[in-house]
Amino acid sequence: MPPCLSLARRLSQRTDERTIVTTPSGAITTGDPGHGVAEHNPVAGLAHDSRGGISNPILGMLLFICSEIMFFSGLFAAYFSVRASALTWPPVPPAVPPEIAEHFNLHAEPWFAFALTVVLVISSFTCQFGIWAIRRDDRTGFIRNIAVTLVLGIAFLIGQGYDYATLGFGLSDGVFGTTFYTLTGFHGAHVFGGVIMLSVVLYRGLAGQFSSRHHDAVEAMSLYWHFVDVVWIALFSTLYIL
Amino acid sequence: MHPLKHPRNAIFVGLIFVAIGVVYWALPYFGHFHLDYAGVTMLGILGIAMSLMFYVLIAGSSND
Amino acid sequence: MATHALTPATSAYRSGLYEWITTTDHKKIGILYVVNSFIFFFLGGILALLVRTELAQPGIQFLHDEGVYNQLFTMHGSVMIFLFIIPMLVGFGNYVVPLQIGAPDMAFPRINALSFWMLPLGGILLFLGFVTGGAAFAGWTSYAPLSENRPLASAGHGEDLWIMGLTLIGTSSILGGINFLVTIFKMRAPGMTLFRMPILVWTVLVTSILQVLATPVLTSALIMLFIDRNYGGHFFDPASGGSAILWQNIFWFYSHPAVYIMVLPAMGMISEILPVFSRKPLFGYKAFVFATAGIGALGFSVWAHHMFTTGQVFLPFFSFMTFLIAVPTGVKMFNWVFTLWRGQLTLSTPLLFALGFLSMFLLGGINGAFSAAVPVDFALQDTYWVVAHLHYVLFGGSVFGVFAGFYYWFPKMTGRMLNESLGKLQFVLVFIGFNLTFFPMHQLGLAGMPRRIADYASNVGWNDLNLAATIGGFLIASSMIPFLWNVLVSLRGGEIAGDDPWEANTLEWATSSPPPPYNFDRLPEIRSERPLFDLRHGRSRGHAALPEPGPAPEPTH
Repeated sequence: MPPCLSLARRLSQRTDERTIVTTPSGAITTGDPGHGVAEHNPVAGLAHDSRGGISNPILGMLLFICSEIMFFSGLFAAYFSVRASALTWPPVPPAVPPEIAEHFNLHAEPWFAFALTVVLVISSFTCQFGIWAIRRDDRTGFIRNIAVTLVLGIAFLIGQGYDYATLGFGLSDGVFGTTFYTLTGFHGAHVFGGVIMLSVVLYRGLAGQFSSRHHDAVEAMSLYWHFVDVVWIALFSTLYIL
Repeated sequence: MHPLKHPRNAIFVGLIFVAIGVVYWALPYFGHFHLDYAGVTMLGILGIAMSLMFYVLIAGSSND
Repeated sequence: MATHALTPATSAYRSGLYEWITTTDHKKIGILYVVNSFIFFFLGGILALLVRTELAQPGIQFLHDEGVYNQLFTMHGSVMIFLFIIPMLVGFGNYVVPLQIGAPDMAFPRINALSFWMLPLGGILLFLGFVTGGAAFAGWTSYAPLSENRPLASAGHGEDLWIMGLTLIGTSSILGGINFLVTIFKMRAPGMTLFRMPILVWTVLVTSILQVLATPVLTSALIMLFIDRNYGGHFFDPASGGSAILWQNIFWFYSHPAVYIMVLPAMGMISEILPVFSRKPLFGYKAFVFATAGIGALGFSVWAHHMFTTGQVFLPFFSFMTFLIAVPTGVKMFNWVFTLWRGQLTLSTPLLFALGFLSMFLLGGINGAFSAAVPVDFALQDTYWVVAHLHYVLFGGSVFGVFAGFYYWFPKMTGRMLNESLGKLQFVLVFIGFNLTFFPMHQLGLAGMPRRIADYASNVGWNDLNLAATIGGFLIASSMIPFLWNVLVSLRGGEIAGDDPWEANTLEWATSSPPPPYNFDRLPEIRSERPLFDLRHGRSRGHAALPEPGPAPEPTH
């Protein structure tokens, strides 16, 4: 057997979950992708394809997360830049009336946001429980956990909406309002995207489309959800504590 | 796996940028220059993103 | 019992146009990228000609509203950078990279189609400004506060459309970069180790890393600008605690890496062409790879050399880092020159354009290094010296590289050769026209002529040089006539190319021209970065015998 697989075989590997593995002797065997070549891989928990490494959709999602990190880096850069150049934080420019400026007190009342943080962190855990369930083919546990995650995600969005409605200052009230609403708002938009992904995953799970062999979409979705959670923790620490 | 070929070594690529960020943050103190927090933030976060990227690329790539 | 051949159901209703619009084949998408980019190249070129015509003489020629002049140069820069050079290089990468690594397609074919179709949409958004009361006019850099929605600044919808268009184009760029990375790391043919990949694949790899990590920073800057303009935000408004310099910081954190996004793949294309036409291997393959990675890494830590004069950044740091970039670039120059050294040169059109790249990029690099010195930069900031520098790098570098690549891969894309005489005529015209346009700008910059002005005094000695630059601009435009004629004629009646007209080294020449939808029936054994060279000279066991042909695989959709 030559070292190069025929194209038809390689194409079939991309779609067939029962994968073909070439052993060093050149024999072609069917095997479980989680074993053999990928055994000592540090990311062995993620779904793998036949030739070792992370499967294409999950790798694509991880790279997308890298790019999203840099998106938030721009927003954080703006925040730190204006905060460092302000004489006092929060700054109160002359255009902002004092009855609005007195609401610039995120550090004094972080408790509601802290509750939202707890909600999001718990949802990250339930999401991971769902992943572990589908990895051992426990579809009921998978669907339950994903449904709980979805509910918690929606609860976070509702809570954020309530928070926005009661904060007492707006996007255009000085650079403080602008940075606060832009940073949390874009995080909220990402949570919304994650909620849509969760809904799709839940719908497909209810339709029985996932199994321990075939759940790349679930793994990719959960990675994104964890990322959104981490961003919120960074945002909460920066806006409310730092 | 040989310890030097472990994917976690790829993280050092990102740490280069964290180091550049630290230098960029520290140097203006000596020359009393304006300290640019936007640049420091972006360089630091770039280091994190780059570490993650190289880690998943090396850990995730096919075995040659 | 009558039998009849079963035809695939898809071919029954797919017309040619429908097939092009819905295709997910990386080769067709690559060609779409190239065609789309050339369309925007000609549109951007017309804008440049209008600018040059206005500047031919002192006094106002025909643009009686200077605001229109600002729109013209803004759109020229934006279109050439975001809709021509970057997508053009991505397009060549799209076509060539999967072939060169022996893959059947990109990793995510449908996302590939999505990233392409965002481009024409973004381009339409940009140009829509002209019919909604004026396009963006704050320059392609769109500095705040000029780009903010305040009196005397960019009121009107053009700037908002510009922001939306660039956000779309940026998203396309991010998705494309992810696609390339997964393709290069996951889809290489057996035997194609990282250090056997062709140089073009390496440069596209580094470019993709830059795209994935730098472009989202631009997106965040654009969104902040959009919020400032439309929702009363204050990011770039010093009166309310914001900072106008913040825009420059975030913008250039993307746009300096973007400079390397615009030139690295062109360097890769040159590095494919020079060895083939000098019949030698590339001198110093690994040095070239490390130099490419070094340029990519340094590209992230020099952004503020665009803002020396703001006083907001640490000058010695960025000056030092900028000078450092000359080191890997110099390594590459040595690689190219020593590849040519004592080779059996064939002076056909791809090599001519590659030599044009070498000489012009060298000039662009040197006049750029001048500006890396802070005192010199203080004198030359925002003069025509900067215009000369960026055109020597982007036109003399990237565009010459694009034409070299076009003449080199056209036979693979279409199965037919381009006409050599017309190609050489085009090269001579564009080379003379280019230098006539942009070389005088060095002198204009030293004489103090600022960029982005519609008019200048007649008694300061800028008249002759400006006239020369305008004549050169029209010479460049005239060089596109033999080019287009060449493409049209060769598509219908060009010489049949065959699989490997250039006796090249890399895998794309191992399949037919144009390649079948799934790229390869069989692959040669890959033992070095030049598998076809090994095959011709008996260093490989030849086409690997396959187990059995099997049914032809479906093209991936």
